[in-house]
Amino acid sequence: MADKSNDPAAIWQTMIGEMEKGFNAFANQAMASPEFSKVVNQVGGVTAGAQKQLGDLMEKYLVSMNLPSRAQMVSMAERLQSIEGQLNEIKAMLHQAQQNSGGSDDGVAGARPPRTRRPPSAGGEQK
Amino acid sequence: MNAAAGLDLASIPDRIHSEVQRAIQRSIKGVEYFSTSGPSLGSTPKDILAVRGTMNLYHYRPVADEIYRVPILIVMATTNRGYILDMVPGQSFIEFLLKRGYDVYMLDWTAPKPEEKSLRMEDYVLDFIPDCVRRVQRDSGETDVTVIGYCFGGVLSLLYGSIFADGPMKNLICFTTPVDFREMKLFQNFSDRRYFDVDKLVDSVGNVPPEMILSSFEMLRPASRAASQVQLWDNIWNDEFVKSYRMFDRWATDTLPLAGEYFRQTIKELMWDNKIYNGTMSVGGRPVDLSRIKVPMLHAVAEHDHIVPYDAAKALIPKIGSADKEEVILKGGHVSLVAGANAIKRLWPKLDSWLGERSI
Repeated sequence: MADKSNDPAAIWQTMIGEMEKGFNAFANQAMASPEFSKVVNQVGGVTAGAQKQLGDLMEKYLVSMNLPSRAQMVSMAERLQSIEGQLNEIKAMLHQAQQNSGGSDDGVAGARPPRTRRPPSAGGEQK
Repeated sequence: MNAAAGLDLASIPDRIHSEVQRAIQRSIKGVEYFSTSGPSLGSTPKDILAVRGTMNLYHYRPVADEIYRVPILIVMATTNRGYILDMVPGQSFIEFLLKRGYDVYMLDWTAPKPEEKSLRMEDYVLDFIPDCVRRVQRDSGETDVTVIGYCFGGVLSLLYGSIFADGPMKNLICFTTPVDFREMKLFQNFSDRRYFDVDKLVDSVGNVPPEMILSSFEMLRPASRAASQVQLWDNIWNDEFVKSYRMFDRWATDTLPLAGEYFRQTIKELMWDNKIYNGTMSVGGRPVDLSRIKVPMLHAVAEHDHIVPYDAAKALIPKIGSADKEEVILKGGHVSLVAGANAIKRLWPKLDSWLGERSI
């Protein structure tokens, strides 16, 4: 078996791993300081505010171009989602009705197996 | 062998040959990597039982001839997608449970829409989870339900279990669930109340964008993304490594936004006031007391979890009122505890042996 301590590929991988650990540990120490929190939150607050303003501006631009507004698109998506939800409800009800009648279906979701399973220690060998 | 240098001279030609082969493979596979989309995830057959806003309830189709009486409802973390538990065949926790004879449902989340920014903890704990439990009962025909919560899904499950202590939860399993938020040291510092104006943030953005959530996770290990890309290039000749890298990378970057009010509550009540740990938490006016949870409980935690450090999770089991409770510490990190090769060897068999006898 090749000696790992002389394998350049293994040395490289170990080095990357150690560098990663070392940098993470160093960064974690730095990030634990209150100064770090202060700076990050100042920058984060400004960025979030700028993003919000940009979003508002874009919305006004879309309206002026006679394109559907975000609110209209969201409303349309909501209606679609509501229709999808109702279809799923109908599907689940049909599935339930089929189960109750004991019939088999087209293989989409077959009849449920019996709830009689026992763990290996309680009821013999596990299937 | 050259003893002085510790070199096996006879192996050098083979080594050079192997490295040249890998270099060629890297070039070929590197092109493939950028021209293909990666494995299809979350493909275990399932039926969608309900979709309501951010809430999605799936039922996975049983595969065993005989299943355990008590169905399982998995409550996913609100920050991430549920397919971490259903990666690809052979590496899917869901598939494992189905093959072992469990009846599995999952409460998964989609991105809350701008109109859902007002969702609060109350909506999750007093509405979404109980609604899904009722639907599981109706669909399975069983009264009892085992609840499994992953990460913050575990926190929501605890709140639910404490408030609805009289049933119908039969067993509770939490994976890497924090209760002592003081011990999430870096998150504490990121959200230091002296500098972090959560009201201003939520009031200005509505829902907290996924990029912000992802950055806060990545900041915990800032060198890891760069290092993982170097490792990818090193191993790009290895199809299995690349497949695994793509699965986990896709999931990790597929972070969900968080509903604004829910985020505000999480910061104020958990990160700042540590209310669950202090026993002062209430949801919708209903007090949360973990000692009211008397059902069998298993808490699985990871030895090297950088997101939920053990110190933040270890207080959970002592606070639970059940006589049948167990904490299991397994090797691995926050994600490798539940998915991937490590989980297949450690967590999944442990969970099966614990849950099987409590599911009849």
